[in-house]
Amino acid sequence: MTAPLASEETVAPGSAAELFRTYSGIALQAFGGSLTFTERALVQQKRWLTPNEFLGLYAISQVLPGPTGVSFCVLVGDRFFGLRGAAAALAGFLLPPAFVVLMLAALLQQVQHLPAVQNALHGMGAAAVALVIHTAARMSRSLRGQRAGIAVAVGTAGAVALGGLSVPTVMLTLGVISVLLAWRSLGQHPS
Amino acid sequence: MTALSASDLLALFGHFLSLSLFATGGAMALASDMHRYVVDEHRYISHDQFVGSIALGLAAPGPNLMWVVVMGWFISGLPGALATTLGLALPALVFPVLVSRAGRLPQFQRGLKALQRGLGPVALGLMAATCYLLVRQAPGAWKGAAVIAACLLLLMLTRIPPVLLIAGAGIAGVFIPW
Repeated sequence: MTAPLASEETVAPGSAAELFRTYSGIALQAFGGSLTFTERALVQQKRWLTPNEFLGLYAISQVLPGPTGVSFCVLVGDRFFGLRGAAAALAGFLLPPAFVVLMLAALLQQVQHLPAVQNALHGMGAAAVALVIHTAARMSRSLRGQRAGIAVAVGTAGAVALGGLSVPTVMLTLGVISVLLAWRSLGQHPS
Repeated sequence: MTALSASDLLALFGHFLSLSLFATGGAMALASDMHRYVVDEHRYISHDQFVGSIALGLAAPGPNLMWVVVMGWFISGLPGALATTLGLALPALVFPVLVSRAGRLPQFQRGLKALQRGLGPVALGLMAATCYLLVRQAPGAWKGAAVIAACLLLLMLTRIPPVLLIAGAGIAGVFIPW
């Protein structure tokens, strides 16, 4: 009977260095998105956050400017050791994988003139495109039944892909309208 | 890879910084805009290099934005990688600090929900625009599209890990006369 209780008890990381090490571990294991690995490490293994705290911080990270994973990492680091913690977590999150991926890129540049490598890259690129499409398709499920949301998504895609508008332009027009609509509908049906 | 002047690097950094302010739903949503800047307008890298950096970034371990590190490296080595990555990541350093204070305001929770619900569809539309760009410029006309379709089918029918999919498609690609 102690197990469910234990999941609600959190501990703080011992030091900023531990934040750095933990986030390096997360980053170096994270293939295809860091979310699941972050949850496993911070909530299940280290117990720095409860599941609810995790979801709350994730919701904030999603809407903050900048990449979601980076915002999340800074929020977690800041929560425990202030700016020092944020810097340690972020360094762990970005530096080790950046080193690995740049080694790969440098290797690739040595051999990219070979026809076989060119062909392999075409294949890898096609697979990457499929992954991006698959992610978009999964995201689109959340819009089921939301007429305003579907209209905004279609309008955004058309404006950027066919109309050639920039992302900031679209955000400051359609984005603002979409958020205002959502704000109003939240007022009518408080949840 | 070319050596960019300090002012070009600064402009690159500034462009990614301004895009990042509007990043909702990850860096991939910004890809079509980045493509316009680094491939179409400035010709720093080719379309193939652009797609190559996405493939490498997704195949290597790390957060999703690693492909932006690779793209910067292809543009101008380490200075290029710093310009694109710092531009993209900097807002994520500033705003969490501001928000931890705004969190005490009573309207904050409703605002947060409205932002989430309102920006979700925009992020999805941007992703769709990225997909359109990448498919339209796929290599080998129908061959690229065919490989993309085959990979999509695999993703929908199996739980194949992304890194295996990319490695497998790379091996298959060697034997395809593009």
